[in-house]
This record gives sequence, structure tokens and C-alpha cells, in this order.
Amino acid sequence: MKERDLMLLHYITGIGILVFGSIHIATVFLTYPFQGTIWETTLRFDSIPYAILPVYRNALLAASLFGLLLCTTIHAMNGLRSIIAELIGARKRWVETLLVAVGAFLLVYGTRTILIANALV
Amino acid sequence: MVERVKFRVFRYRPEDGGRGIYREYEVPVKKGMTILDGLIYIKENLDPTLSVRYSCRMAICGSCGVRVNAIETLACHTQILELRRRLITVEPMRNYPLIKDLVTDMAPLFRKQKALMTWLIRQDTEEQENPTRQYLQSEEELERYLQFTYCIQCGLCYSACPVVSTFPDFYGPQPLMKAYRYYADSRDEGGVVRTRLVDRFEGVWRCHFAGSCSAVCPKGVDPALAIQLLRRAALKG
Repeated sequence: MKERDLMLLHYITGIGILVFGSIHIATVFLTYPFQGTIWETTLRFDSIPYAILPVYRNALLAASLFGLLLCTTIHAMNGLRSIIAELIGARKRWVETLLVAVGAFLLVYGTRTILIANALV
Repeated sequence: MVERVKFRVFRYRPEDGGRGIYREYEVPVKKGMTILDGLIYIKENLDPTLSVRYSCRMAICGSCGVRVNAIETLACHTQILELRRRLITVEPMRNYPLIKDLVTDMAPLFRKQKALMTWLIRQDTEEQENPTRQYLQSEEELERYLQFTYCIQCGLCYSACPVVSTFPDFYGPQPLMKAYRYYADSRDEGGVVRTRLVDRFEGVWRCHFAGSCSAVCPKGVDPALAIQLLRRAALKG
């Protein structure tokens, strides 16, 4: 892949994070009035399955969550690729391979989580 | 009126193999004296072993680039009294191999300029061999790249670039700016080749837009802008 394509992808995924991240945060906010719990409870980790999951059992929101996962993974791995190469002063094939592997793992694990949250598996 | 200012000058001899030391010299300063005048005073009166590179003494040749109080500047372009300091630290530019004292090896800068083919590329070799006409340009076409022609290749921007410090393979502001200067020139026909050259890992994409290159340029050139314009050109292909 050409460097310009990677960087274009970097910019697009950056915008994607902004869009899908906003939807995600807005969704978390929306859980408050629907669940009737106090805000603190909504954000507590142990309350998440009860507070947020019902809201996410919606195909559009699940798709936006997947979009957020995809954009964050690509953006983060490409950003790390640049940072590491600039820090060590050279591009290393094994570093890039490792980042692709980590990115693929995050995508698979994240997708599994989204599917479970949506009661699709 | 004469004031006495202390110069703290970086000294380095490659044969000593060390990292260099700072030596202090007291210099009598009159109004209008530049850092270069102070260094020449040291060389002529206090320490003839001091090495400093200079030529025109009027900010045209770009030979006397140094760091004064940690900021890149031309020694001939900086008046001592305007600094309003009793102690002035003079160091060589960063990001270049050191030759001796304040003299750096500019080879990396010129090597990268060459790698980016920073000259007019044209297909009409016959016309260039036996010219029959002028390559005319409109004012608008000239203005697209005019400010970038003011570069005197002093290399201060390359020294100030934080990315080159950590990632020496990065082409750096001056070579990239010069690549844009020719890319934007209506007489040039090497746009595709040049955008391919800058579209590498060590090319335009590594610029973090710190802007220090533009801040230190003694000629008011804006290499950071040129890099952003070159990015746009690279995206267009």
C-alpha cells in the first residue's frame, strides 16, 4: 500500500472516530433517561450490561459500534507504526507485522464482543 | 559605548573523540556588532583555533548558520545587543554531522535535495540543448512558488526540525520545500516523478507541523506551508 493511501486512510478513520465516537458517547448519554438510573450508575462498569446493552440491541447502533472499532483499530495501528518508526529511527518489518497482527486480533475480539452484546451469537 | 558580553562557545575537535566542551570568552561589544563579529573577534584576539564558517556577512550566502541561545539563526544576521543578554551561548546547528567547533557538514541536506530531484525537469532536451525561445511565465504562475525561491539553503530549518532529530531519514523541511518550489513551477514537467518521491515513508507524511522550520527561517520562507501543499499534491497523485 502506498504511503499516501495509508495516510488518506488515517485521515478518513480519524473523521470516522469523531463521527462514530460521538454516536457512541451520545448513546451512553441516552441510556440514562431510558434506564431511569442515576448517571453515576450508568457509567459504572458493573451496570453496563444492564444499562447499555439493551440500547445497543439495535442494528444501526451495532453497525456504528463496529465502525468505531474499525476506525480506532486502523487509526491506532497506523499511528503506532509512525511513532515507533520515528522513535527507533527506521521502519522494521517485524514491527509492522506485529501491528497488523495486533490490529487483526482487536478487530476479531471487538467484533465478537459486539455480536455478543447484540445477542447475535 | 562598549559593553562586555560573555560568549559561551561550543568547541569540538574530532581528533579528541569527545562530545565537545563549552569555552567562555569575554567580548567587547559595540552597537551594530553581530554574533559573527563577536566570533571573528574571538578568533582574531582570544583563540585562533576557533572554527566558524562564513562568507558574505549580509545574510545572503547562508554559510554562518549557528544556534544562539538555543535558537537557530544566521550569525551575521543577529545583533548582539538586541539579544539583551550578558551571556550568549553559541552552538553548531543540530541534525548535521559536526566537522569542527561551529562548522557542520551540510552533506545530508544536499543529498536529500538531490534525492528529491530539486531542479527543473523537462522533456524537451533538444530545446534545452539548442534554445530557440524563452520559457514564459505569467505573474500568477510565478506567485505560486515565489516565496520559496527566497531560500538561501542555510539549513537552519533542517536543524530546527524536531522530526529530523528523532528520525534522521526524514527528508526535512528545506529539501521538501524545494521540491514543492519546482512542483509548483509551471515550467516544470516532473510533477508526477516528484510527488512519487515525496510520497514515501520518510517523505511529506512524517512532518508533524511543529512549525519550527518556518519560525527560524531568516528569509521569511514558510517550509511548513510548502510541506502541507506538497501533501495535497501527493494525495492528488
